[in-house]
Amino acid sequence: MGSGWEDITPDDVLALDGPTKGFLCPLSANTYGIDFVDFEIKDADSARSLFRVQKDPDAAPVPMLDNIDPAIEESIRTIKYCFPVEFLRYKTVRTSLVFQVGPNEVPNFRMIERHYHKDELIRSYDFTFGFCIPNSVNSWEAIYPVPELKEDQVQDMAAHPYETTSDSFYFVDNKLVMHNKAAYMYQD
Amino acid sequence: MGLLTIIKKVKAKEREIRLLMVGLDNAGKTTIVKRMNGEDISSISPTLGFNIKSMSFKGFTLNVWDVGGQKTLRSYWRNYYERTDGMIWVIDSADIRRLEDCRDELHKLLVEEKLAGASLLILANKQDISGALSPSEIEKVLQMEKFSSSRHWRILGCSAVTGDGLLDGFDWVVSDIASRIYLFD
Repeated sequence: MGSGWEDITPDDVLALDGPTKGFLCPLSANTYGIDFVDFEIKDADSARSLFRVQKDPDAAPVPMLDNIDPAIEESIRTIKYCFPVEFLRYKTVRTSLVFQVGPNEVPNFRMIERHYHKDELIRSYDFTFGFCIPNSVNSWEAIYPVPELKEDQVQDMAAHPYETTSDSFYFVDNKLVMHNKAAYMYQD
Repeated sequence: MGLLTIIKKVKAKEREIRLLMVGLDNAGKTTIVKRMNGEDISSISPTLGFNIKSMSFKGFTLNVWDVGGQKTLRSYWRNYYERTDGMIWVIDSADIRRLEDCRDELHKLLVEEKLAGASLLILANKQDISGALSPSEIEKVLQMEKFSSSRHWRILGCSAVTGDGLLDGFDWVVSDIASRIYLFD
């Protein structure tokens, strides 16, 4: 992690054309205490739950140390997902995210997510939550149109587990406060 | 082509409508959104922040911002006014004790400059509860005549539990906004 991460802007990450090497900001950048408590993917039509992960309320807080072992840091900041191949053929998907924030006002909270397969950008999402009330618990449920993938691309993604990846960047008032990664495998 | 025309065209392409849903706590805002979306409404806890939900409705994408109504949260409502196309003010029609509180909060909202152009739907919720005031009784308490000339607004009775009245309400607010903002082909 080089110096100057404080200067990274939303435009900088929107210009990225491949996964980053490592993380663009330290864990301690999250001074607002933003914490994800529930993430769910639903069938857009039936609202049936397809996947859900909830934070264990008894889990120890994530250490905010900046000098931790890179391998440990990677495991803390990377989520691995295993989805049915069917997911890749959905035209729309509904996702629901619940997060809480700490005791300070959070101005202009924004998420940018870049998805790649083997270093090629396949999807990019950009959503502004805006203001978050101190100590609030907030939810966001959106319907995404999913760009259609070619069948050979679907097969390639299924054949190469965890080579489909994403970088999630979170900004408060255009300052980077969080960067997490995800890696995906697809199987029948 | 005038600026307004350009704005209309940009918006028409996205066909997105931003609705702000506010009202006192326990009015039923979150339940209404969940009911509209066909979700389970059996266990809903007080909203301690916001719930944003995107819904498809008559060819539009509605982005509904349901913001908690507890007293400590109300001073933060103003952070959600920007770019609001329509407001849905939800009332617990059986909570007669707090109706004047409810009126005062609504009047504060209606003088906000950022909300000046927004359509207003007032939902007199909980009509299924015995002792609930009717929409016309509530309209009198709300003293809406002060605002009638300057705003597109309507009051309708509804029940989030039975679903009665919700579609009529959303129909009205969406078509009122659409006729203002969007060009029809």
